[in-house]
Amino acid sequence: MKFIVQRDKLIASVQDVMKAISARTAIPILTGMKIEAKKNGLLLTGSNSDISIESHIPVEEEGIVHIEQIEEGSIVLQARYFPEIVRKLPEKTVEVEADANLNVTIRSGKAEFNLNGQDADEYPQLPKLQTDESFELPIDLLKNLIKQTVFAVSTMETRPILTGVNLKLEDNKLSFTATDSHRLASREIPMDSTNVSFSSVVVPGKSLNELSKILDDSEETVEISVTNNQILFRTKHLNFLSRLLDGNYPETSRLIPDQSKTVIHIKTKELLNTIDRASLLAKEDRNNVVKLTTKSNQIVEITGNSPEVGRVVEEVNVDSIQGEELKISFSSKYMLDALKAIEYDEVKIDFTGAMRPFIIRPANNDPILQLILPVRTY
Amino acid sequence: MLASYAIIKVRQILKERLEMKQKRKGRIIFHVDMNAFYASVEMAYNPELKGKPLAIAGNPEERKGIIVTSSYEARAKGVKTTMPLWQARKLCPELVVMRPNFERYRTASTEIFKLLAEITPYVQPVSIDEGYMDITEYDRSLGSPLEIAQQLQNAIKTKLDLSCSIGIAPNKFLAKMASDMKKPFGITVLRKREIGAKLWPLPIEEMYGVGSKTAEKLKKFNINTIGDLAKTDVYQLKQVLGINGERLQNRANGIDPSPVDPDAVHEFKSIGNSQTFAHDTTDEREIHHLMEKLADNVERRMKRKQAVGRSVQLMIRYSDRKTITRSKKVPYYLDTRKDILQIVHELWQKHWSQDPIRLIGITVQDVEEKQNIAHQLDLFTYEKEASKEKLYEAIETLTEKYGDNLFIQDPQQKNSNEEKEQPRTSFQKDFLDDFKH
Repeated sequence: MKFIVQRDKLIASVQDVMKAISARTAIPILTGMKIEAKKNGLLLTGSNSDISIESHIPVEEEGIVHIEQIEEGSIVLQARYFPEIVRKLPEKTVEVEADANLNVTIRSGKAEFNLNGQDADEYPQLPKLQTDESFELPIDLLKNLIKQTVFAVSTMETRPILTGVNLKLEDNKLSFTATDSHRLASREIPMDSTNVSFSSVVVPGKSLNELSKILDDSEETVEISVTNNQILFRTKHLNFLSRLLDGNYPETSRLIPDQSKTVIHIKTKELLNTIDRASLLAKEDRNNVVKLTTKSNQIVEITGNSPEVGRVVEEVNVDSIQGEELKISFSSKYMLDALKAIEYDEVKIDFTGAMRPFIIRPANNDPILQLILPVRTY
Repeated sequence: MLASYAIIKVRQILKERLEMKQKRKGRIIFHVDMNAFYASVEMAYNPELKGKPLAIAGNPEERKGIIVTSSYEARAKGVKTTMPLWQARKLCPELVVMRPNFERYRTASTEIFKLLAEITPYVQPVSIDEGYMDITEYDRSLGSPLEIAQQLQNAIKTKLDLSCSIGIAPNKFLAKMASDMKKPFGITVLRKREIGAKLWPLPIEEMYGVGSKTAEKLKKFNINTIGDLAKTDVYQLKQVLGINGERLQNRANGIDPSPVDPDAVHEFKSIGNSQTFAHDTTDEREIHHLMEKLADNVERRMKRKQAVGRSVQLMIRYSDRKTITRSKKVPYYLDTRKDILQIVHELWQKHWSQDPIRLIGITVQDVEEKQNIAHQLDLFTYEKEASKEKLYEAIETLTEKYGDNLFIQDPQQKNSNEEKEQPRTSFQKDFLDDFKH
C-alpha cells in the first residue's frame, strides 16, 4: 500500500475518526485506525462498541488533487501515535507506505517514521446497514436539534435508556426528546417529503455529541437511515454509524401537563441573567437551588440563598403574570440550560404548582419545549 | 421536639462562648483514655475474668480472626492488637478469647461520657473509649485540675469498674501524649515547659498523628525523635509532608490551637463500612453478597443520621494487599441500599482486575444532613410527592409562625418498635450522639 496525501486533508480526516477510537476497548485492534487506499481515494475507519466513523478523502475534488501515487492496500495503525505524527510533520504532503511485513513508513520532507502496523484483515467488518429507507435533513438543523435536546440526557446508568435521545418520525413530524427524569427537552420539526417512519429509536447522547462535533457546516445535508439496532448518518465524505439503545423509551408525552395554574411571559435574556446571578449563591453541591416568587402583576422575585455564604434577591420585570400566586424552588442549572437552548427572545412559562413540573416554551408557540421538575426544600 | 431545638440553641451559645474564651491563653485540657477498654468492660461484666489474659477477637473461628484488643495480662505475654489469633494463642496458650459485644461497650461508653459531661459541657468524644475535655472554666470548688482528674478517674473506677488514664495539658495534642505516658490508671500532667525533657526524647512513631508511613518518611531524613522533628527546618519538612509537616512540627513544639469541639462528632463527611473475607475470593456471587450486606449497613447508618450523600466509593483490597479506591459522584443525593449498590456495581464492573479479593469497602461520601438540602423531584414519581403539596404548604405556614423543626420526623420514635440499630465497629461514632440526648 502506498499514497501521497495532502497533510491538512489527512489531519482533518484523522481527527474525525479519532472521535470513535478509545484507548480502552475489549477488542485490542480497535485501538487502531484502519486506512484503506483505493483507486478513488482513502478511507479511514475508527470504531468502538458504540460508534463507528468512516471518513473518505477523494483523490480529487473540484479539480484539486488530494492524493497521488496510490498503490491499493490497507493497514491498521496505532491511533495513539499516528495522529500526533501527522500533525507535526514538516511538509504539506505526507507519504505513507506499508510493506508486506506490515512495516509502515511515513515520510514528509526529511522526516521519516517507521511504525509497526497491524493486518487490516483482522479489523472487524463494520455492520452493513440493512435498509434502503432514509431521509435527509439540513446539517445545521440536525445540529440544532441535537444542541437543544442532548444536554438533558441522563449521565447515570441507573436507567440506561435515559442516556439517549428519543427520535420519532411519525405523521410527517420528526421529534427529538431527552430527559434525565429531572428535566426534559424536546423539539419537533415538520418533515414533509418522506415516507419513512419510526417511533422508538434511542440514540446514545454521547454519539450525538460526537456527531455534532464532526459534522461540517460547509456540507449541506445529512442522510439518515435507521434499522432495529443502528442508525447511520451519511454525508458526502463521512459515514457515522451508532448503536441504538435497547429498551423502551418511556412515553413522555403523557407526563407533560397540558394545564397550568400560573403563566408568566418574560424576556429570555433578563430571566437568564437574573438566574445566573442568583446561582452565584446557590451552592452547586446542593442542587443549585434558586427560588422564584410572584410579587405583583409585573414582577417576579428570584432569590438564592446559601446559609454559609449569604443571600441574593433580585426582582425581574415580566411581560405578564396570569393565574395563581406562586413560590417555587428549582435548580438554577437546569433553568439556565433550558433558557439557553430555547434561542427565542421571549418565553412563556407554564407552572402547574410548586411540586409539579413547569414548562418553558418560546412565546410564539414554536414546538420547542423545556420541562423542569422543581425541588422540594425539606 | 421543641426541647431538641433548645438543645441545639444551647450548643450554639456554648460554642460561641468557648471560642471567645479560647482566644485567651492558658487552657486546661484533659485527655481521658480508657485502658484496654473492651477487655475491661468484659471483666466488669464478668469479674471471674479478672486477672486472666483476655483477648477480644474479630472472628474467633475463622482464619482471619485478629486481636482487636487484649487485657494487660495478655499484653504481658506479648499479645498485641491486630495480631492473628493463632499467633496470640502460641504466645499465650491460656488466652481467653471472646467475640466483641458492641452493645456492652456502647453502654459503658455512654456512661463514661455522662460522667465527663458532669464536670464540663466541653466534652469532645473522639472514639468509643477516648475523649477530650476543656476544663479551663472549671468550678474552683471542685478542687485543682489534678484533683478533678483524680475524682473523675475514681468515679469511673467505682461506678463502672473501669480504669482510665488521664493526660492534663494546655492543649489537645499534649494532653493526648500525656495520657499515654502512664498506663494503666495513670494521671500525667504535661506542661509546655516540660516538653524538652518529657516529649522530645520519644521516638517519632510514638507521636500522635505520625503513622508508620509518615514515620518511615521522616526517618529517611534522620528525624528519629519528636525532638528531631521540633528542630527540623520547616521548609524541608513541607517538602516531605506537605502542609501537614508544619502542623506536626508545631505539635512537636507543644503548639496545638485546635479547640475541644463538642460538636466535632456530629460533623461527618462520609459514612462507610468494610469487611474482610474469610478467605481470598474471586467468586462474584460471594462478593456481591458481601456488597449487599455492606450497603445495608451504610444505608442503616445514613438513616440513623438523617443523612444523604452524593458520592459512592468502592474499596477493593486484593490478596497481595494492594488496595484501590474508586468513586463516582452523582448529580443527586442518595441514601438507599439500592442506589448505593447500583453505583458500587458500576464501579466494580469497571475496576475489578479479576484477581482474588481480600476485602471490600463501601463508603458514601459528600454526606449532608437532610435538613440542609433540597430534594430534586422526579418526572416519573413527582405525583406521589405532589399529592402531599397541601400538607407541605401547611407545614410551611406553621413553620413561619412557630419556628423550625416543628415537624421533623423523629427517627428515634419511628424506630422504637424496630430492633435498635447497633454500630458494629469502634470506628462508628454514631452512638456518641447519644450521651447528650
